[in-house]
Amino acid sequence: MVAKRKKKYASGEGAHFMTRKAALKKLQLSLNDFRRLCILKGIYPREPRNRKRAQKGQAGIKTLYHVKDIQFLMHEPIIWRLRDYKIFNKKVGRARAVKDFESLKKYLNNHPTLKLDHIVKERYPTFLDALRDLDDCLTLCFLFSTFPSIAHVPRDQSALCRRLTIEFLHAVIEAKALRKVFVSIKGYYYQAEIKGETITWIVPHHFSFEPQSRAEVDFKLMSTFVEFYTVMLGFINFRLYHSLNLFYPPKFSVVSQNDDEKSIVDEEVFVSERVAALNFPVSKTSSGEEEEEVEIDTFSTEDTPEKIEEAKIEAEKIKNLKGLFKGLKFFINREVPREPLVFIIRCFGGEVSWDKLLFVGASFDENDESVTHQIVDRPSMDKQFISRYYIQPQWVFDSVNARQLLPVNKYFMGEVLPPHLSPFIDKSRDQQYIPPEEKALYDPEALEELHKKQETDDESEEEEQEDEKLEAEDSEKVDEDEEDTEDEEEEEEGESTKKKKLKVTPGEVYKEVPWEKSKQERQEYKLREKLVKNKHRKLYKSMMAGRQQRAKEIWLLRKKRRLHEEKQKEERKKKKKVEKQTT
Amino acid sequence: MAKPVMKKKKRVSKKSKLSWRKHVNINDVEEFLEDQRLEERLGPPLETLTDDQLFKVDVEPSKQTVSSKERKRKRFLEPPRCFAVLQPHTKVPDPIRKRNRVRTKEERKNDLIKKKEAENRAKGIWKHRELQAIRDQKVNEERKQNDPKRGEFVQNIWDADDQLTENNGWFSKNTVKHNLAGTGKIRKTVKDLKKIKSSVLPTIEMPHPGMSYNPSYDDHQDLLKTVAEKEMKIIKEEEHLNRVTRDMFSKVTAKKRDSMWLQEMSQGLQSASTNDNDNESDSEYKALNPPTKNKKKTLQQRRKQQEQMQLELLKRAAKLSKKKISDIHQLKTLNKQIDKTESKAKILRERRLKNLLLKKKEPKRLSAIKFEETELDFNMGPDITGNLRSLKKEGNLLTERFKSLQKRNVIEPSVRRRRKKSKVKVYTKPGHKEDWITTVAR
Repeated sequence: MVAKRKKKYASGEGAHFMTRKAALKKLQLSLNDFRRLCILKGIYPREPRNRKRAQKGQAGIKTLYHVKDIQFLMHEPIIWRLRDYKIFNKKVGRARAVKDFESLKKYLNNHPTLKLDHIVKERYPTFLDALRDLDDCLTLCFLFSTFPSIAHVPRDQSALCRRLTIEFLHAVIEAKALRKVFVSIKGYYYQAEIKGETITWIVPHHFSFEPQSRAEVDFKLMSTFVEFYTVMLGFINFRLYHSLNLFYPPKFSVVSQNDDEKSIVDEEVFVSERVAALNFPVSKTSSGEEEEEVEIDTFSTEDTPEKIEEAKIEAEKIKNLKGLFKGLKFFINREVPREPLVFIIRCFGGEVSWDKLLFVGASFDENDESVTHQIVDRPSMDKQFISRYYIQPQWVFDSVNARQLLPVNKYFMGEVLPPHLSPFIDKSRDQQYIPPEEKALYDPEALEELHKKQETDDESEEEEQEDEKLEAEDSEKVDEDEEDTEDEEEEEEGESTKKKKLKVTPGEVYKEVPWEKSKQERQEYKLREKLVKNKHRKLYKSMMAGRQQRAKEIWLLRKKRRLHEEKQKEERKKKKKVEKQTT
Repeated sequence: MAKPVMKKKKRVSKKSKLSWRKHVNINDVEEFLEDQRLEERLGPPLETLTDDQLFKVDVEPSKQTVSSKERKRKRFLEPPRCFAVLQPHTKVPDPIRKRNRVRTKEERKNDLIKKKEAENRAKGIWKHRELQAIRDQKVNEERKQNDPKRGEFVQNIWDADDQLTENNGWFSKNTVKHNLAGTGKIRKTVKDLKKIKSSVLPTIEMPHPGMSYNPSYDDHQDLLKTVAEKEMKIIKEEEHLNRVTRDMFSKVTAKKRDSMWLQEMSQGLQSASTNDNDNESDSEYKALNPPTKNKKKTLQQRRKQQEQMQLELLKRAAKLSKKKISDIHQLKTLNKQIDKTESKAKILRERRLKNLLLKKKEPKRLSAIKFEETELDFNMGPDITGNLRSLKKEGNLLTERFKSLQKRNVIEPSVRRRRKKSKVKVYTKPGHKEDWITTVAR
């Protein structure tokens, strides 16, 4: 007997991969349905190690999927729902074409719906898994919440996104989970910490919707992502609210509807408006403290005491940050974007209100005497109160990032603002150039230094100016001075020759030569360097070279900055001179 | 021949009905009938009518003011206009008094049965089918109401009591099986797919500090520098491509190109004058490959060849044995060689590892279309106003997200396909040809 001949690609890489077309054929789905299914189930195309073998010898580059992935998809009950959709569409299309409106209505009332709960559970077996993947979800939901109704996007999707995101913001406010904010030209970057997971998301600026060309982005695809993410965010909200002892569809005990208000809007709209205002605390299911103080263990085995100390300091800082705006009362002027500021201020325990006509939910008036800060974004105002600071919105963002209330004087109305720096840069980078403003943000000593430097700069400028005036007068006196100094030098030489003649000299106290120590250290260091094993020598060398190079870069940038500042200083001086001359 | 004054009536046979109809004059009867029909249609002739019938005294005001609401209501009371077609449009009565019509099911029913049914219904006795329908309706409505609506979240899907089914380390397989026996849950433990993260890249890339709405001078310069560097790279690439392709070829005029083409194409063709001479000289057939000849070696030659081969083998063996001896003395150099190749392999291995790590950060090749990265968003110096109110927005978040998904290998890069419209050939049917304008009516 001859052994059965082995067929090509029956095993190995050729058997592990499947082209998209083959997958469509196997699953009996259309391309649109397949893409939708893949997105919902989290199946991605793969790149093979050997493309030629994976494509079974076919030329070109094809989109490949793992055979196991496709088999996994095959067991998904949703596929049947997708097929139902197909049938439903055919029925509806026929009824519409023959104008059979009775059955059309019947079909439309009983349309098939996709239920995605089990997929959320399957893809994220634990709550933490879901939190870990929240970045994408939040960003897309926030983005879609700003959209009007567009073709290829379900009509109620943007409203649903809006509702869910606002509810999430409420959860963040209640948990005091926000850590960092950054306002970029693209949008607002927020970073929160929920259950120890760092979650970052982007919220677009509150400008009008700009239409998008279809060539760039596949709207249908993105809306499928959003379809899944809305379900996911809904369940996360539910869980978050319950872990914070809140009612899930949020309720308010503080506000209740008046009779005249009842005549204007129904209760549902009334509540949803208050939810969108972000200004009222959500009522709790029980009054008990849900969050106990977390104490750090002192008997940690791995960490060194310094690390424990560091962690303690960090925890203390975060605790302070949570109550950053406690006791402060803000009033937001109408030109300032309301939602981000209300969200941030409420996250850190502040009280906020705004103009009554701007949005519902204003809790106090501009005339309220207890307002401590009014946030304005215009160069000047007619009517001002003495009892409050008029500051620009950046003060709020910078204070949050600095984890302390910054001095307000730099952020007063009409002032040129200090730069708004990104809080997302690794603070422990010692081998990178850090501009002095940023350095000042992270340690108060540098801030003082910076202030001092600026003051001295101003003073020195004045001094210099005075000097220049004096110079002209003094030019005659200089010659006389020079003669005097020469005489003094001769006298000193005479004294020194006399001292040498004395025989008895006082014993010299042993003085530590300052450079001796460093010299010794350097020698020791070099010896230690020699101990580096041959195996690691090259690595060590390249490391040191890299370090040196980075140091050089830092030095270069510092120099640039210095030169730039000097140039600016001179320009200022010139300006002042010109002003003086004109006066 | 005298002409007859009056044509004599020709006698015709009126035997059949057809000929009877043909030759009898019934004009007067028809006229009368026509008049009658007209009368039926339009009413009696005016002469016969009295003054009262013809005229009426106008008592009502000429213009009636009817509100639009009333008019609408009135129109609503009128039969719909779509039924106008069904109304008879003449006053002529239907000649067929009794038209056949399919009676409805209700009409067809026997009176006795009808009576019985009414009695039953009054008593509250329903048919099985009707009862079933009512029951189904109720169930369906209940189901519809209980179904969670879109955007309604009423359960914690990460419930704690569901953990039994998960294959966690706390319970043995048998315990799980035992406990799940009567619960109706799936007892089979499904091997969960190893979920490989599609990319090492973060979901949201941290923004460059120069992208702040009010950046510090250094950060902004740094950002501009990176953007400029990228742009320069693209320009350089483009220039290179131009240099290598477009600029390599000299340009010629169209006329010259044509003449060159003709020259090129006629290369190798023999001119007519030379052709004749060649054909005459070698007219006979000559094969390209001459036929082979089977030459045999002689016995002597064969013997000598054998001897040579033996000698060669011996020589080779001697050489090998000699080399074995000399190799012992060459151990040092051999070792060196081995070391050299090993060190080379090591370097290569390291380099490969490094490249692999670098490659992990790059998007994978998932489709025939290559991934293209978006440009960095930046504000030029004058655009930076330094306050939130007059900030200039840059970049599109949706595009950025879309590209990020592509970059993280979640979706494959693709281009929008436009279905090509099929080319329709338009022609006129021969019957509709308007040739006659040019041919006949000339």
